[in-house]
Amino acid sequence: MSNLVYLMSSLPSLSFGQVPPITMDEFTHDAKNQLSARHFKKLEAVDAYQMPDAGGKHALQRFSRLINKMQEDISEIRTARVHKRTPGLAHLPRTVITANPLEREKLIMRWQWEELDTIQAGEMFTLTDVMVYKLRLQILNRMNSFDAEKGSQVLASVVNPPKKKEE
Amino acid sequence: MAGVKIKYTKTERARQKKILKVSMRMLPLFEAMEKSLMSTINTIAERIEEIRQVIEQNNQAARPWVAVMSDSKVDIKSFISVNKVITKHVDVAGVRVNQYDSVDFNVEPVQYDTPLWVDEAIDLMKEQLQLMAEIDCLQEQILLLEEELLDVRARIKLFENRRIPNAKTAIRKIGQKLQDDERLTIATAKVVKTSQKEGVMV
Repeated sequence: MSNLVYLMSSLPSLSFGQVPPITMDEFTHDAKNQLSARHFKKLEAVDAYQMPDAGGKHALQRFSRLINKMQEDISEIRTARVHKRTPGLAHLPRTVITANPLEREKLIMRWQWEELDTIQAGEMFTLTDVMVYKLRLQILNRMNSFDAEKGSQVLASVVNPPKKKEE
Repeated sequence: MAGVKIKYTKTERARQKKILKVSMRMLPLFEAMEKSLMSTINTIAERIEEIRQVIEQNNQAARPWVAVMSDSKVDIKSFISVNKVITKHVDVAGVRVNQYDSVDFNVEPVQYDTPLWVDEAIDLMKEQLQLMAEIDCLQEQILLLEEELLDVRARIKLFENRRIPNAKTAIRKIGQKLQDDERLTIATAKVVKTSQKEGVMV
């Protein structure tokens, strides 16, 4: 418990949309130093975009549900596109339907962030708190990777003149 | 004409007249071909410009969200690539060229956990790659048509500057020579006749 308190107290606070104040490597290094091997193993298993192996644990189940809800709605948007109908979203905000792809990703990330608030409530200085911190750091890292210039370079690198030809 | 030895015969004059007649008939055809090739090249160049504008419009439309393509979670390059560009043979202004037909893509199917923006990015990339492939084909067409145009222009020059003037000169010179020969023959005949008459009188 004291290690969890020490770890969480030593980590910089995170707010949505900010540049990550700490790298994932630094966080992992600190967590490895402060957490027990069992806790660290559990922490490693959580990912903001991959379903954790819930294994009956309460916190992991909640993370799993969070990802599941997000993927359900994403799947509904894709299906609605194929059938050319308006998607009926159960969890994500309806603004994601009309937003451009960048804004949509940000809206989804904000929704994830807010859902993490709910998971974090009443879990101060617990392993769940550390897990939420990791997920939020992942969200910030991903958001921070969105860069117009780099994105344009990626697009340009794909849209190259085709080489092979066949009659 | 310099250096070319003319045979001053009626047969040669007839041959040169035939060359002139054919050349005079071919020249307008080549000139029409030149016009047609130039016009086709211009039309293709305009089409390339139109496609470039569409590409630019697509880029402009994607500008507000292109940042998402640098997503650290996704390598969009692994989702789409060109397998091959399909073309077909067509005759454009009498030249056989490859016409763009379609692009065969290798597209990785999106998974349930693939971010939504990947769908739009794939659509945009497909559109841009197709337009780029069409530009490639059109540029290749222009190259072939320009080669043909050079050839046609060389033929026009050949007709205008060599074959037609040479044939005209040859016809004129042969005509003059034949006239001169005729006059000489008549004069010689007259001299012979006069000499014969004088011989008889003596």
